[in-house]
Amino acid sequence: MSALALQQQQLLESLFLPAAEDAIKNIAICADSMGIRGLKAYQSNGHALAERALLAAYPVLAQMLGAESFAALARALWHATPPQRGDVAQWGDTLADFVAASPQLAGEPYLADVARVEWALHCCASAADAVLQPATLALLGSHDLDALRLQLAPGTALLCSPWPVVSLVHAHGDGGVTLAQAAALLHAGQAEDALVWRQGYRPRLRQAQAGEADFVAALLAGSALGAAMDAAPQLDTSAWLTDAVQSGLLLAAHPF
Amino acid sequence: MTATHPAMPVPARCAEVGIGWRHPHYAELLERQPALDFLEVHSENFFGNGGAALAVLMQARAQYPISLHGVGLSLGSAVGLDPWHLDQLARLVQRVDPVRVSDHACFARGTLGAQIVHGSDLLPIPFSDEALDVLCRHVQQVQDRLQRRLMVENLSAYVRWNSANAQDGSETDFLTTLAQRTGCLLLVDVNNIYVNACNAQLAGHLGDPLQACRDWLDAIPPAAVGELHVAGHCHVADAHGEIVIDDHGGRVSPAVWALHRHALARFGLVPTLVEWDTDVPALDVLLEEAAIAGRAGQAVHNATAAEALA
Repeated sequence: MSALALQQQQLLESLFLPAAEDAIKNIAICADSMGIRGLKAYQSNGHALAERALLAAYPVLAQMLGAESFAALARALWHATPPQRGDVAQWGDTLADFVAASPQLAGEPYLADVARVEWALHCCASAADAVLQPATLALLGSHDLDALRLQLAPGTALLCSPWPVVSLVHAHGDGGVTLAQAAALLHAGQAEDALVWRQGYRPRLRQAQAGEADFVAALLAGSALGAAMDAAPQLDTSAWLTDAVQSGLLLAAHPF
Repeated sequence: MTATHPAMPVPARCAEVGIGWRHPHYAELLERQPALDFLEVHSENFFGNGGAALAVLMQARAQYPISLHGVGLSLGSAVGLDPWHLDQLARLVQRVDPVRVSDHACFARGTLGAQIVHGSDLLPIPFSDEALDVLCRHVQQVQDRLQRRLMVENLSAYVRWNSANAQDGSETDFLTTLAQRTGCLLLVDVNNIYVNACNAQLAGHLGDPLQACRDWLDAIPPAAVGELHVAGHCHVADAHGEIVIDDHGGRVSPAVWALHRHALARFGLVPTLVEWDTDVPALDVLLEEAAIAGRAGQAVHNATAAEALA
């Protein structure tokens, strides 16, 4: 390893590895008394950035945990899985698994799925733009459904959870669910499948209807419309298509 | 023919002034469209494939020249540039056709255990021959990819490398050589120079920060400079000690404005950016700071014109 690579590795170790306070003594920085204070400034920067980045992606989880616990969680994730990209908005995808594995949060097992829904919403916000192609929808009435593929909205994602994740997220936003209602659903062990998509530039979230999760999962896996309908016999597909166009979930139909 | 008297100097275009355009001002600025010569944004905030942020940037692009200022390329990393990062930047440059593209003389990527991580900060590099070679190679790589001249900014650094290598040079020599070898321009952050000088003073290395900063500016060849940055900083004294932090969280200090005037007089009327990233104030406050920068440019311009007539 070159001298420069070693210097850089040592500085990164002093920022990310535990017991960094002691590490400073062993590395080739701080030629003066400012070194310890300077390193502290970089460590504080990192922690503040971790909190800001996670708060932007996980506003509901932040409310559920409270500011202090959320900040501690952000700092812990920063050290456990440091960023790998130079765009900090990409960092934080491992939070759900980190929460799921956390002994301190074992008493709130629904938090990991809330985090998964929020990460899907976060990714959805910057997914590639796409617009409705109304002319292609005429194919739905004329084309062989086994040779037709549906194009869903940017960032469309499906998360099946044993917890009432959609109600929990909506209860902490403006989704028309009260905290008491969400708590009652949680207490009753209500499962909810979450559907995330983007309507224009606005990320959207709702509960999947009966059969819709199987249908959307098949579409997301690349199945033809006919095969997706076979996977979800209880879904009223014609009603779904109308609603999906109106809500921006369905943008186009393409022949294979 | 205009009414201008032939003996009068032709009114040269005054130094351009722009502001860092951040999320709290996205809508208000587009609505008010204040007179600014350019807007600066952080490139990485627009790396997404699509969505509202990118759409807002493209809207602004129709009204103002955009300067793309990067904070994550990690030009000084011994492990190389992240090809993904360069791809995203190249795509954004293609989309936006910016008036300038810049990043910092720093590193963030490096090995940690078995993986390569990105420190998400502007970490200092030693002013060694090896670091200069690495930096030059990466600046050239970016310029080749973007087919544009890059601008590279000097850093505010909170630690110094205690290099065993006695021939490590000065920051100004380092940056000057970088510009000579790659053809890149230097983005001189006046606040960063002052913050470094204040911290050197706290460490007992120098007596007069302002003089040290003027010496710094005077050591940079004017032709190498493409832009100036000014911003606020803060003094922190806590349980960990005393330090000056380049927090971009307040008004530009009188000392930094004085150095900005010195820089304009030395480097000519290069564009100035007012940065404010923490506790972003009302847009009018930022516009007031931009007006101060504009008046400084005007004063230097007038002085130069008067000198030419004398």
